[in-house]
Amino acid sequence: MPGKSKKVEAQRRLFEAEVRPHLDTLYSIALRLTRSPVDAEDLVQDTLVRAYRFYDRFEAGTNFKAWLLRIQMNSFVNRYRRASRERQVFDGPMATPVGEGVMSRATMRGLTDPVGDAERQLIAQEIRRAFEELSDEARAMVMLADVEELSYKEIAEVVGCPIGTVMSRLHRARKQLQVSLQAHAVQLGIIEEDDSELEDPIPLEAFRARKAAKS
Amino acid sequence: MTCKLVRRHLGAFIDGELDPASQIEFERHLEACAVCQEHLAFERSFHQQAREAIAGVHAPEHLWNRTLHRFDEIDATRAERTSIEARPMRWRQTWPIAAAAAAVLIIGSVVGLPESTAYQGAGMLQDVVNLHSQALPSDVQAEAPQDVVRYFQGKTPFPVKPARFAEPGMKFVGARYIKVGAHPAAALYYNHQGRRVTLLVFQSPEIVRNAHRTHVGGREVLYHNVGGNVVTIRQHGGVNYAFFGDLDRPVLFQLAANARVAY
Repeated sequence: MPGKSKKVEAQRRLFEAEVRPHLDTLYSIALRLTRSPVDAEDLVQDTLVRAYRFYDRFEAGTNFKAWLLRIQMNSFVNRYRRASRERQVFDGPMATPVGEGVMSRATMRGLTDPVGDAERQLIAQEIRRAFEELSDEARAMVMLADVEELSYKEIAEVVGCPIGTVMSRLHRARKQLQVSLQAHAVQLGIIEEDDSELEDPIPLEAFRARKAAKS
Repeated sequence: MTCKLVRRHLGAFIDGELDPASQIEFERHLEACAVCQEHLAFERSFHQQAREAIAGVHAPEHLWNRTLHRFDEIDATRAERTSIEARPMRWRQTWPIAAAAAAVLIIGSVVGLPESTAYQGAGMLQDVVNLHSQALPSDVQAEAPQDVVRYFQGKTPFPVKPARFAEPGMKFVGARYIKVGAHPAAALYYNHQGRRVTLLVFQSPEIVRNAHRTHVGGREVLYHNVGGNVVTIRQHGGVNYAFFGDLDRPVLFQLAANARVAY
């Protein structure tokens, strides 16, 4: 093998230094996407190999993490979700609208401040279960927004869709998660079933009345 | 500002993704609406709980080392390619493909083939030669043959695997999607003892219509003479495997005959 040039070595060192801090992020998202540690490792490795090859195409000064995640998302779609199945991901269960007022106030209160470690853990476990049931894309949305705390603009870059679409897909994903959690939380006795006040009647009127009273 | 609107966009409000004007309107509404405040508290708490439930996964220790090993392989392949590309290329020099094309045309009219078919065949042959001479960069490199198979899935109407060769001097370098005439094709790049070889895989009856036929080591090899050299073609399962390279004529026959194109 011919000796490595200094330029290649410098480039390699720079790339390694930039990539290393994002390894956990890439792996954890890959694991959530593929649901398999073996596939997740393969996906991360594919991603990093591609990123290394196309490192010269990365625009310095732009978000390196978002760039890596975009490569990973593309690799995931190419590898695990080909042709016909791809449509299923983007037009599948995620396209079903989720109601706005599905959660009662009592339920919300029950889930807002879980009391005690046991309950916290139970809810965490239920969130993980509900999360696993989401579509690939919904899982990606929740991971990128809530765990990685990417901005909507960055998520749009990673997923390759407009910002408005990110907003509505993320909203839907979170609502699905909440609805699924609620159903199980009732079953498990974390919260009590409550059908008396599913949604407040015309809260806008109350708001206006209060506003009028103030002025 | 309605409660419905506020609740619909609470997530974006918490994420700080609303435009400044809406942000202010939301804050004003939330100050006045106790029910929306509860929704806000719930959403905030839920985002936090979701984060805690899903986060906290660490990559296994060996993953980074495995990855570094792959980087080493890429560096090695790159270094090799750079040294190959630095060599002068015989076939990049001018050579009489136009004459070859004309010859095919003349033969075509003598044996009474429709002119258009002969023309297509000659044009395609020129494409094969040009695609080698242009030496376009690979889209997928040689480290894992499975990557190559996956890369071509959905691109070509037939599965593509890098052909294997018994010759120890023949090394697969990389591949890319390409077109030969109007036909989707796989360009597989090899390196034979420091010289470039291009194998084009595509479906088209035209390329073999006027081809000569011979047998090498018991295998049928079709060929076209071009500019003092030769394009050799193997057929398998309705797919053509056309070989061209900066190599001597007998070597191109040998490679075409010995290639394991299906395995």
